Amino acid sequence: MSRLWPWLCAASVALSLLMLAALLTLLLTRGLGHFWPATLESVTLDSGEIIAGEAVREAPLPHRDGEERLYFTGNRDLDSHRWRWVAIDRIAERSTPRALVRLERSPWGDFIGYLSAFESGSDHLEGDAAWHALTTALAHTTFERSNATLVLQSATGETLRQPLNEIYRAHRPNAMAWWEKIRYWFQGVWQFLSEGPRAANTGGGVWPAIFGTVLMVMVMSVIVMPFGVLAAIYLNEIAHQGRLTRLVRIGVRNLAGVPSIVYGVFGLGVFVYGIGSSLDAWFFSDSLPSPTFGTGGLLWASLTLALLTLPVVIVATEEGLARIPDAQREGAVALGATRLEMLTRVVLPMAAPAMLTAMILAVARAAGEVAPLMLVGVAKLAPQMPVDGEFPYLHVERKFMHLGYHLFDTAYHGEDMQAALPLVYATALLLVVIVLVLNLTAILLRHYLRHQRGQSC
Amino acid sequence: MTPPSRPTHSALTRSTDPRRQRLDRLATASITVGAFAVLAAILAIGIFLLWESFLLLSMAGTFTLDTLSPLAWGTLKAALAAMLLALPIALGAAIYTALYMPLRLRSRVKPALEMMEAIPGVVVGFIAGLVLAPWVERHLAITLVLLVWLPLSTLLAGVLWHRARQSLRKRLPFSWAGLWLIPWLIAMTFIALWATPGVEQALIGGDLRQWLDQQLGINYATRNAMIVGMAMGFAVIPSIYALAEDALADVPPSLLEGAQALGATRWQALWKVALPAAGPGIFSAVMIGAGRAVGETMIVLMASGNTALFSASPFEGMRSIAAAIAIELPEAAPGSSTYHVLIFAALVLFLFTFLVNTLAEVVRLRLRTRLSDMGGRG
Amino acid sequence: MLASPHVSNAAYLTHFSAEQSCLNIERFSLAYAGKIALRELTLSVPRHRVTAFIGPSGCGKSTLLRAINRLHDLNENATHSGRITIEGEDIYADNMQVSELRRRIGMVFQTPNPFPMSIYENVAFGLRLQKRMSKRKRDDIIEWALTSAALWDEVKDRLHKSAWQLSGGQQQRLVIARTLAVQPDILLLDEPASALDPISTLKVEELIRNLKSQLTLILVTHNMQQAARVSDYTAFLHGGELIEYGPTDQVFTNPHLQRTEDYITGRMT
Repeated sequence: MSRLWPWLCAASVALSLLMLAALLTLLLTRGLGHFWPATLESVTLDSGEIIAGEAVREAPLPHRDGEERLYFTGNRDLDSHRWRWVAIDRIAERSTPRALVRLERSPWGDFIGYLSAFESGSDHLEGDAAWHALTTALAHTTFERSNATLVLQSATGETLRQPLNEIYRAHRPNAMAWWEKIRYWFQGVWQFLSEGPRAANTGGGVWPAIFGTVLMVMVMSVIVMPFGVLAAIYLNEIAHQGRLTRLVRIGVRNLAGVPSIVYGVFGLGVFVYGIGSSLDAWFFSDSLPSPTFGTGGLLWASLTLALLTLPVVIVATEEGLARIPDAQREGAVALGATRLEMLTRVVLPMAAPAMLTAMILAVARAAGEVAPLMLVGVAKLAPQMPVDGEFPYLHVERKFMHLGYHLFDTAYHGEDMQAALPLVYATALLLVVIVLVLNLTAILLRHYLRHQRGQSC
Repeated sequence: MTPPSRPTHSALTRSTDPRRQRLDRLATASITVGAFAVLAAILAIGIFLLWESFLLLSMAGTFTLDTLSPLAWGTLKAALAAMLLALPIALGAAIYTALYMPLRLRSRVKPALEMMEAIPGVVVGFIAGLVLAPWVERHLAITLVLLVWLPLSTLLAGVLWHRARQSLRKRLPFSWAGLWLIPWLIAMTFIALWATPGVEQALIGGDLRQWLDQQLGINYATRNAMIVGMAMGFAVIPSIYALAEDALADVPPSLLEGAQALGATRWQALWKVALPAAGPGIFSAVMIGAGRAVGETMIVLMASGNTALFSASPFEGMRSIAAAIAIELPEAAPGSSTYHVLIFAALVLFLFTFLVNTLAEVVRLRLRTRLSDMGGRG
Repeated sequence: MLASPHVSNAAYLTHFSAEQSCLNIERFSLAYAGKIALRELTLSVPRHRVTAFIGPSGCGKSTLLRAINRLHDLNENATHSGRITIEGEDIYADNMQVSELRRRIGMVFQTPNPFPMSIYENVAFGLRLQKRMSKRKRDDIIEWALTSAALWDEVKDRLHKSAWQLSGGQQQRLVIARTLAVQPDILLLDEPASALDPISTLKVEELIRNLKSQLTLILVTHNMQQAARVSDYTAFLHGGELIEYGPTDQVFTNPHLQRTEDYITGRMT
């Protein structure tokens, strides 16, 4: 048996790698696959009913043998639901008509069906001409479009008149060549990254969340870096290396293990209810009782996360400082440099990559952190961006959107989780990619640092 | 070449440029002030939590324990479930990486596993709550079978390997098993997926979940302790793994070689020499993992169902302290008793993790000095 | 030329008069974290000569060198008593400007420690700390310093390349040049050749002999041949105490004390 125990250890490594790979593969396929224009089917049931939609998945029937298939049919304004389970043995005929159109609209979500006519003023176009007119019109932004109306027909035969300016994208996947699909896929990814959410988070993109995350992380870095670096310099270069310094160092290290939610509680209690409410009482009393700083916002969130990432910055910077050989310090001092000159001219330039690593690690931690933000300042849908053309341009008291929270909110509080799921996958993928790329950069930087140091000294 | 004119030397007590000295003193002072500001901010966390919880004492009522105890139970249950999954995998992986893996492979595998730690909790929670939980609910039998079948099939792989011909054993060396077992595990998973429904049908005549409900009266919640254990286990594996691996790798190779020279197998050398030497380091790794499991918020929030129950069943949900704070605190009016109770809960979390981490750190530092005394790379 | 040294009360401890010496150590002791490293040392170092400190490892020779440059200031566990004076000024006086002191007493370390900058910037480092000077003047000083360190011909075409690309011996001569550029009165060398190959070592030794026309040198070495080759006076330290101090020839060929002879002949390590 003792020969076999090591095998369980080996399998542990294999299993861990497998789980990691499975998670990443799942996110990649689901997250990126969503933007691919899926084939639309027109399905005739044995009852004679016709539905049109995208086949999503199959599952065993709940009460008898056989399988059923889930179709995304859209058209919530017509039949009030977007999904349809169909038992496979009841399908009489499946086809993929080239004329099937999928429209992405704002209030009601996707439409799947046929385009009968394109009406603009007195013009009335039908068939391919209508489709051509629609794609031309969509090339313009919503503001420049003429007041045209689309006449649509669902697979069940219902007719619908749809104003053109409620439509964002249109495509006929069954009629697309592979290169058109690839172009459509890139457009979809770009739209996801550059546009705001719409149709209750089931469509559109996550741009405000990306922007909010980046802005919050930037404000946080501006706060945490000077203090973290100062503290690290103090601990490593100035403090008496005695029992007390060792104690402080252990304390700082341990703060990295304190749950993030605790920082959130501190941020809410001290920043929002404490400092924020006082600020309101002193400077913004005319807008009370609606709070200005006395509620969660960009500034408080950044401060809270700065506190949270402080240990990360201190530990990583100190590690970099400790790795600089004392010979360099002595060399500078022996030439008559004061401590400040030694630090600014020799030590800090050499520690710069370590400080960069520290910042990247802090940013990676902050970008993925959600729990404290739930207490100090994210919003489901921020009505105003925290940066705009209005003085003072950066509004640190405003609420902001955050990728991680957006992911949580869409997944758990959306009206139609099923419809939002693909976008949730895409958001999760984006978040993981951001965090992993940041971490990878930090690892490579650190590796380069060790390598370089190892060669020269 | 003639030397340039020598600078005139003034008395050493007078600086040639007093501005430099002043600047230096100013910088030292401001660095110190900055560092103390940081220290003050850190202390402020503890003081704030203590003060707000202290206010709770002045508010009459014994509700504290009643509201908190199911939460404390939920926290412990979630952490326990996570540790049950994470401990064997993380420690096994650490042992294998530190003692069996070739250095070249180790330098690739270790960062890859450490990357797991970087995956945000909200993503793990989402996958667990919305993807894994419904799948497990539909395939409960397969999940339970997999939990037993995967370790068993690994042992099977070991037996087959030892029986195999020398040429095959050379081509698939054990030191690379961490990689080539991956396809084996995938294949075994598919076998389980394929075979289990038939066995399930034959043994209990249908779905295990219904059978549990009808025959044994066990209620199955979609989001339950088992799911939380898997998800949070996934999240704490890398932190335990990284620290335990460090501790094992720091054991001087001469110790292991000495034991092996006396005729011990590598596995015996591990048990008799490496584990006792690295014991404190492994202990601190487990402590830090436990601290993380107790404080993790998003995974429990998204994968646990958030029902404050007193139940030991792995198929029931729970609500943890951290999750309760995240949900209820934004709603609680500042100054109300709920507010103070939740802050007290945060204090409990803070103290618990801080103490556990300090213990781990102290033990780790002690180990480090001990190993460097023994001539390790310490 | 100096007058012949005045021989103090003990025949084996040479003493120089105030005008002959530029550095005087009087009953200097130093303890490091409570452990005594130097015990009641009294020693004077003659101007424009090379003085070598020799002794077994741990005898305190490096510690003494670092004490002269107040490098123990960087370590707060060190405590001292007694006096070290340079040209009559106590270097441990309360109102002493340490950076000014260190500019006047250059130090070269065991392993070459050029800064991660260009060769030019390494030599300019000390100059840039002081009052502004024209680029022309700075270039002149840098060329002079590199020439004095016998490095100019080897690096004049790549002054702006990284100093870390130089060989070990070149790096050490660069560090000497860097120190010379600030024109110190005294140059402390802490086993400057111990990390170098034999050819580089010879170059550095030649450099040391040439430099004594410009300044006073103190050399710490564990290599007795080196001490014999380059130094004018030799101090033998053991267990933190000064045992014998005198002209190098005499210490090496005809030491007063048995302990010195034991060490020099290799019977004591």
